[in-house]
Amino acid sequence: MYIRPDIVGNEFAEVSLTIDEEANSRRLRLEDLKTGKVRYLDALELETLVWLPEGNLAKLLDPSADRWREEDA
Amino acid sequence: MTLTDIPTSSSGARGPAAPYDELIEAQRVHGSLYTSPAIFADELEQIWYRTWVYVGHVSEIAEPNDYVRKNIGPQDVIMTRSADGEVHLLLNRCAHRGNLVCEADAGNSSSFRCPYHGWTYRNTGDMLGYPFHGGYGGRGKLDLGLGRVPRVGIYQGFVFGSFAPDGPTLEEHLGEAKGEIDRLVRLSPEGEVEITAGFLKHKARANWKLLAENETDGYHPQFVHASIFSVAQSGIGALYGEKSTAVTRALGNGHSENDLRPEFRRIGAPLGWFGTTEEKVPEYSAAMRARYGDAAEEILIEGAPHVMIFPNLFIAEIQMFTIQPLAANLTVQHVTAVQFKGAPEMNKRMLQQCIGSVGPAGMLLADDTEMYERNQAGVAELRPEWLDVRRGVHREEIDERGLTVGGATDETGMRGFWKHYKHLMTEGRAQ
Amino acid sequence: MTAAATAIPTDAEPTQLDVRDVEQFLYREARFADEHRYDDWEALWTQDGLYWVPANDDDADRMAKMSIIHDNRSRIATRIRQFQTGRRHSQVPHSRLRRVVSNVEILGNAENGDLEVGANFVLVESRERSNELWAGRYTYRLRVVDGAIAMSYKKVALVDNARAIATLSFLI
Repeated sequence: MYIRPDIVGNEFAEVSLTIDEEANSRRLRLEDLKTGKVRYLDALELETLVWLPEGNLAKLLDPSADRWREEDA
Repeated sequence: MTLTDIPTSSSGARGPAAPYDELIEAQRVHGSLYTSPAIFADELEQIWYRTWVYVGHVSEIAEPNDYVRKNIGPQDVIMTRSADGEVHLLLNRCAHRGNLVCEADAGNSSSFRCPYHGWTYRNTGDMLGYPFHGGYGGRGKLDLGLGRVPRVGIYQGFVFGSFAPDGPTLEEHLGEAKGEIDRLVRLSPEGEVEITAGFLKHKARANWKLLAENETDGYHPQFVHASIFSVAQSGIGALYGEKSTAVTRALGNGHSENDLRPEFRRIGAPLGWFGTTEEKVPEYSAAMRARYGDAAEEILIEGAPHVMIFPNLFIAEIQMFTIQPLAANLTVQHVTAVQFKGAPEMNKRMLQQCIGSVGPAGMLLADDTEMYERNQAGVAELRPEWLDVRRGVHREEIDERGLTVGGATDETGMRGFWKHYKHLMTEGRAQ
Repeated sequence: MTAAATAIPTDAEPTQLDVRDVEQFLYREARFADEHRYDDWEALWTQDGLYWVPANDDDADRMAKMSIIHDNRSRIATRIRQFQTGRRHSQVPHSRLRRVVSNVEILGNAENGDLEVGANFVLVESRERSNELWAGRYTYRLRVVDGAIAMSYKKVALVDNARAIATLSFLI
């Protein structure tokens, strides 16, 4: 089965990662292929992610942390 | 702390550095205005760190989180676009120990991290944080951020900054010069210019006012540029001849133009102002006629403006210059080719023509700059003390807009420059 | 562009030259430029010559970005004719010039078969305004035309091409 080289996916999520050259320096372009939502990350943001402790990243994964909050429902 | 305290030094209400009323007369100005370091320091406070100064163009920071390093005189200014699309003008100085927070000429980043101790700021200038926060009693304890140019104004994509927290609006400052910017952008089939070609930086060992005055001096081209006009068989020289129907106009607030439209209308050829014809740029011509309909003919005949916007933006048809004063006897000219959005065919031609003309090796600007530098050497001589700006004063007229108009080679623009300069340095001084 | 040794020339054998002959050519070109011998200098160019001094980035896109000099053969001729009017004010009087050309290195053949040569230079310019120190890297493309070496390309990558520089109206 062919898998696009820019996609990281599993049964829960599918995200495309590309290097974007349109801005004044390179950025990482992330696209949630299930919704089409796009976000860019610059170098300093990426470095920050690398250094994020597991616990802090886990907190962001809580489905009600940012995405599915009751006030948005 | 008020952010406006940052650039205007500690002197506050210091008096004038010189008796400007005596040094600036209607038809002559004193040589010391070009050589005195004290007057230069006074100009920084009363002009460069107060009035609206051109900084950059929105197309240079097209994407969210883009930034470019720019300047307002000697001040190192970072022009940023935050994630919400807003344009910010920040001073390149860490609030901790004063280090530069930004070293690259351009980039894309949501934040700036000082290399010295890691203090980090949003691209809005707000502080994000600092390492080892225990030393400051915890997170978010410091009421500090990057310095900001307090007022940012944008007209047709041209971004201006003013260090004065209040004063005339950008549109009030631009006044009659707005129409000249409008005339430039309407030459794009999409109504926008783009500044994408990068800048040449040309050093002149001369006072900035010699450059500003020369920009709409229609008297010099036949002499300074005779060499290139003759070998390139250029028609530009004739536009500034004794018989030219072009005019020089003082636009108010120190702005001025060489209005070449009377000559271009007389010739009546679309794109004649650019030395080409519609046949040679068919896609551009078609796009212009599609957008503007019948009005395209006039737009293509009248061409681009030749306007000096006080104190530092000079649009010379297809070229855009900014003037950066660094000392009484040192100025940097930044220059690039204007590019029209949606006009790749024209843009290539404009870029290559611009490269031939401007910058350190330019077939026009190298000679202008030679004149600036010889002029700077000359004005240091003690006699006759004055520079003469009377040319054409006896034949000036007031036009239907109430603006002063002189002949193609008259010093009407210079007199308008000095009138505004004198106002800013005397009764119009910051309190 | 760097050496493209694998490129196959379409209409000629790849140019091969002895490094001593290449050096002699570069030194002569430098001397003609230093001494403002405009006709002699112009005669070193091929008909498709390109004289390029990039700005801000040594490998900038010269069709999309500003350059300090970007002369095709026709504009090289215009530049020379302008000097010869005697009214090119930024070269009246001429700058006094001397340059040292060194680190001469044959890099290989360009796509069209021309021999690509690299060299470093340091140049002192003296005029009333000031003395200026110029330095950078030359890249030449050379071929033999009518039995003599000629240049089809000269690129001058100034070390300070991203900074504010003084008037540069002589032949760099």
